[in-house]
Amino acid sequence: MTITRRGFSAALGAGIAMPAVWRSASAQGATIKIGMVLPVTGPAADSGRYALIGAKLAIEQVNKAGGILGKQIELITEDDQTTNPGAVLAFSKLASQSDIVAFLGSIRSTQNHAMAPDILKTAKPVMFGGTDPALTHMGNQWLFRCRPNDSYSGRVLADFGMKTLGKKNWAIVHSTDAFGTAGGKALSEAITKGGGTIAIDQGYANQSQDFTPVVLAVKQSGADILGSYFTFENDLGIFARQLRQLGVNIPYVGSPSIVNVVATKLAGPALYNTYGVADYAEESSDASKAFGKAYRDVAKAAPDNQASWTYDAITILAKAMNSAKTTEPKAVRDAILAIKGHPGAEGEYNFDQNGDGLHGYNVVKNEKGNIVFDKHIEFTD
Amino acid sequence: MDIALQLLFTGIGIGAVYALVALGFVLIFRATNVVNFAQGEFSMVAAFLMVVCAVDLELPYWLSFLIALGGMALLGMIFNLGVYYPLRHRSFLPVIISTIGASIFLANATLALYGPQPQVLPGWFETPGIQVGPVYLDSQYLLIIAVTIVLVAFQYWFFEHTLIGKKLQATSQDKEMASLLGIPVARMIMITFIYSALIGGIAGILVAPVLFVSIQMGSSIALKAFAATIIGGFGDVAGAIIGGLALGIIETFGAAYISVPYKDGFAFLVLVLFLIFRPQGIFGERVAEKA
Amino acid sequence: MSVEAPVRTARRNPLRFAIAPAHVGYFVLSALVVVLVSRATLDGYILNILMQAATYSVAVFGLSVVLGLCGQINLAQAAFFGIGAYAVGLGTVDYGLSYWLCLVIGTLAAVLAGAFLGMTTLRLGGHYLAMVTISFQQIVTLVMINAIGFTHGPDGVPRIGRPALFQTSQSYLAFAVAALAVIGYCVWHLKDTRLGRAMRAVRDNELAASVAGINVYRTKVAAFAISAVLGGLGGGLFAGGFTYVSPDQFSFAESIVFLTMALLGGVASPIGAVIGTGLLILIPEWLRFLKSVPGLYLAIYGIAVILIIVFMPEGIWGFVTSFLSRFVKPVAAASVPPLVLAPDRTGTDMVLDVKALSKHFGGLKAVDQVDFSVRRGGIHALIGPNGSGKTTTLNVISGLYRATSGNVVLGETDITNLSPHRRTWAGLGRTFQNIRLFRSMTALENVVIGAERRGNSLVAASGGYAALEERALAALDFVGLGPRANEPITRFSYGHQRLIEIARALAANPTLLLLDEPAAGLNSTEKRALHDLLERIAAQGLTILLIDHDMTLVSGAAQHITVLNFGKRIADGESMGVLRHPDVVSAYLGTET
Repeated sequence: MTITRRGFSAALGAGIAMPAVWRSASAQGATIKIGMVLPVTGPAADSGRYALIGAKLAIEQVNKAGGILGKQIELITEDDQTTNPGAVLAFSKLASQSDIVAFLGSIRSTQNHAMAPDILKTAKPVMFGGTDPALTHMGNQWLFRCRPNDSYSGRVLADFGMKTLGKKNWAIVHSTDAFGTAGGKALSEAITKGGGTIAIDQGYANQSQDFTPVVLAVKQSGADILGSYFTFENDLGIFARQLRQLGVNIPYVGSPSIVNVVATKLAGPALYNTYGVADYAEESSDASKAFGKAYRDVAKAAPDNQASWTYDAITILAKAMNSAKTTEPKAVRDAILAIKGHPGAEGEYNFDQNGDGLHGYNVVKNEKGNIVFDKHIEFTD
Repeated sequence: MDIALQLLFTGIGIGAVYALVALGFVLIFRATNVVNFAQGEFSMVAAFLMVVCAVDLELPYWLSFLIALGGMALLGMIFNLGVYYPLRHRSFLPVIISTIGASIFLANATLALYGPQPQVLPGWFETPGIQVGPVYLDSQYLLIIAVTIVLVAFQYWFFEHTLIGKKLQATSQDKEMASLLGIPVARMIMITFIYSALIGGIAGILVAPVLFVSIQMGSSIALKAFAATIIGGFGDVAGAIIGGLALGIIETFGAAYISVPYKDGFAFLVLVLFLIFRPQGIFGERVAEKA
Repeated sequence: MSVEAPVRTARRNPLRFAIAPAHVGYFVLSALVVVLVSRATLDGYILNILMQAATYSVAVFGLSVVLGLCGQINLAQAAFFGIGAYAVGLGTVDYGLSYWLCLVIGTLAAVLAGAFLGMTTLRLGGHYLAMVTISFQQIVTLVMINAIGFTHGPDGVPRIGRPALFQTSQSYLAFAVAALAVIGYCVWHLKDTRLGRAMRAVRDNELAASVAGINVYRTKVAAFAISAVLGGLGGGLFAGGFTYVSPDQFSFAESIVFLTMALLGGVASPIGAVIGTGLLILIPEWLRFLKSVPGLYLAIYGIAVILIIVFMPEGIWGFVTSFLSRFVKPVAAASVPPLVLAPDRTGTDMVLDVKALSKHFGGLKAVDQVDFSVRRGGIHALIGPNGSGKTTTLNVISGLYRATSGNVVLGETDITNLSPHRRTWAGLGRTFQNIRLFRSMTALENVVIGAERRGNSLVAASGGYAALEERALAALDFVGLGPRANEPITRFSYGHQRLIEIARALAANPTLLLLDEPAAGLNSTEKRALHDLLERIAAQGLTILLIDHDMTLVSGAAQHITVLNFGKRIADGESMGVLRHPDVVSAYLGTET
């Protein structure tokens, strides 16, 4: 078979025209529409899938219980391509549908930053999962966080390391992306405040193929405890292995990625007996257990925070709208901020005036590859 | 001193990885004057084939290895026919873009078929490594270094002492002349692509146990291997090896003694400096103009 | 004659009569679009899409220039885009500077970086440029991520300021579209400027460009710098549009996206750039329905890139224009006054003095201590058996090879160490044994580049393009191809292409014309015509230095002959005498001893 130039251009033309025809055929219904920006393509496509499962799980339960104001919830999703411009386009596309009453933003802080101007203009509630503290402290009243922010993860890591494990001299390793940088800073502030010392604070670039220089630096620093913020599981896997190979065996407490399923699998024994903070821990509460069971039934995989925060976001939106008895944005905002003691999969939500719903973390331990709940540390300030 | 030794071992290990991938570049460059931007994806695809065979299907390791190499030979063939051959009479630019297209395709087709999660591929040896005095030697890195040496020796023998190797060399030097001499140029280029896909594949399979198997594993190594190729001098096998090793060592020591976050920057900084002050590389390729 | 007169006026004043309405039309249309954009009700989504398309297009214009016009690769356009964007972002947010000032700073920073990169690597081949631009891209990305104190690191820069005049998104979009229109106009017309013609010549054939008097290196650096400027400018516009920038928006992957945009639409024209940019922003939006399988969309995208490269080498717009051009007949050329050659006459009787000239390649002495002089006026032939060093001598004289030792003096100028284009400025003209024309251009455009030689006193500087075109047409008339001036090179026979090459050299009004085997590959009729042409050239007082194997041509045309063998001069003098010289006879026929 040969493709001629003309044939190819005709096919190209048809290919360009088709989707436009497809789209115009979509229908409308009498539902409550919630928009969701999630990565379907790009490096975070996988977490996007979990996030979608979490959200759908919540929608199913809410709809079964009568929906919002008597109407069923309908989820409208847009792919953010795991990029910032992609997120902006996805959000603005959703925002242009005036019948969408609220949104689920991104778990990535930079994407939320990128969308923030559009969110402000749209003036409807956006639930999000990014953990950069600044997002709820920059005067954008439409952002509501369904995960504890990094100032808490840093404080919990420091608190656990110093009070529970009794170690004061820290080595900090963090990625130099937005997440790692903010986390590393929060951790070092919390350590200093709690009377500990920082032996070494080392950043690294994502997708490093080798961590020997970092591990050697940690080894030489004389630290008696290691705290880390890793973004990608494969980086963490390589780091953890080299850590053990080069004989570093000090206690290790890490950010949520240290206890996620993929990292546990990649690193194997190298991560045994390490501690991690997790916003979602299956054993931490009854609500978490219930979510975990429902999630396992649908996804056939262990639940984690990628799904739990979207699950909570939907239930909180439903609760707020039902209690406000309207979907009018201002009223919904007030209703969200009024939520106290709401048992979510992630933990107990007590919204503050900034829009942060959670104020603590669970500490979990890797016991021979199984993640077990250790304790919950909550802050009230 | 202990630390420097450990860093040196790691640098050589990482450098050998770059060198292996660079070897694939050099071969294709010499045969076609084209930089293959999908070389890294060859490594990635081979690693995924290994995961499918050895982990998912639980086939014996050696059988999986042979199957993966067979797959790579096929990929090299298809790559030549689909990506290079239709453009062989055009300038290097369209071919570069075409290989970029191929690299996007391979990465994302793998993503579509296998999903984005990084995978674990067990190493060849049960023992993860040995402690020699103050230095810990990772067994997989030892293997990588050994294979690199063997492949370089093989390649030298192949090009200098076999008829087909000499034909390949003649093709890379002057295609018109080679075809006048009765050398089937198209077939020689086909062989080059297959061989280069095999080498890329071997590199991928060897590094997979160390770096895990992920969609991005190829592109990040390939970019460094490019740099290694330039430092060593384009079109020179020995140069690619030296360039790769030099880069691995510079990077590791640069990270240890200057800055970890800028680690990737050293490679490219060295590259730019080389291009400015010694564009012919360590070993040199004539960049003279022809009238 | 009277019938043709109006045609001539039209051709002489193309700006005033032919193109002017198109210019006005362009601006009226652009103004309409700008008004439409500022008045229409656009939802946020459409607004963002248009904003992205408009600002990206500016950066893609840069690639039209560097890749399309000049044929050089740039894999760091996203880095330049990022430099412009960060200048506006950091400037307005951290330093409280005005948007306009930041836009200028960003553009300047981009051009400095671009010119530096270009200056360091453009002497080398294309692959090296690819590597250096990739490296630059990586370094810029690393700095954006890691120099947190300066760039805010991976968090990016939020709440970027806009100019007071364009505070709303829609008015800013209108401004961006207006900027796009103006920049597009400049890029559209760049190809018709002196620099633009030089870029196209460099793209088509670097060697021919350099002997046509074009400073190849500087032209490439200029193209690269312009590309960087447009990248920086686009980035500055982008930053104001989205009011948030972060490092991942300016990664290597984005550079590839820019490149694909340029290639998809067609690098030859800014229209192609806009089409390509628009499509590559829209296609992912349309293909969102493929999202259920991660990677599928990008896999298809990868295949599409290959298919486009294979089946639409000129991009979509190039495909359309080449299709349309089948229906457009080339305009017949107007008549012009006959060609005047007025070679410079300063200096002695000898127009060219070659003294003890040597060129060694390693141990091989291709040219060894050769002396000869070319007398002003008339035809001088340089002959010798194969491998005698004739062409090497010619290449040393015209500067393609650097002399190992010895001197070459043209008129009163010692040109031994000048670069090829400077020798052309000094009055040297040449043709090549294997014809080197600018293959994407018409015959006329080829010759115009010759006419544009710096130091060509026969083209009035005030005459603009019309004067150049008149000169070029006259040169084509002179070689007998005037009526076909507007046809593309590819439609000419081999013999005619040779004549065009000669016309290109003649249009420059050289002091000395070097012809490298002009009779090679010509049939006997063509050879006779060539002989006649040489005589007509010589009759106007232009000196010719001829290299050829054809003894009929050489003995018939040349008054003076220099013979080389094994890199050494073995005879020199008046034609008949030299040809009977025993050494010459034995060199050609072999020695009898």
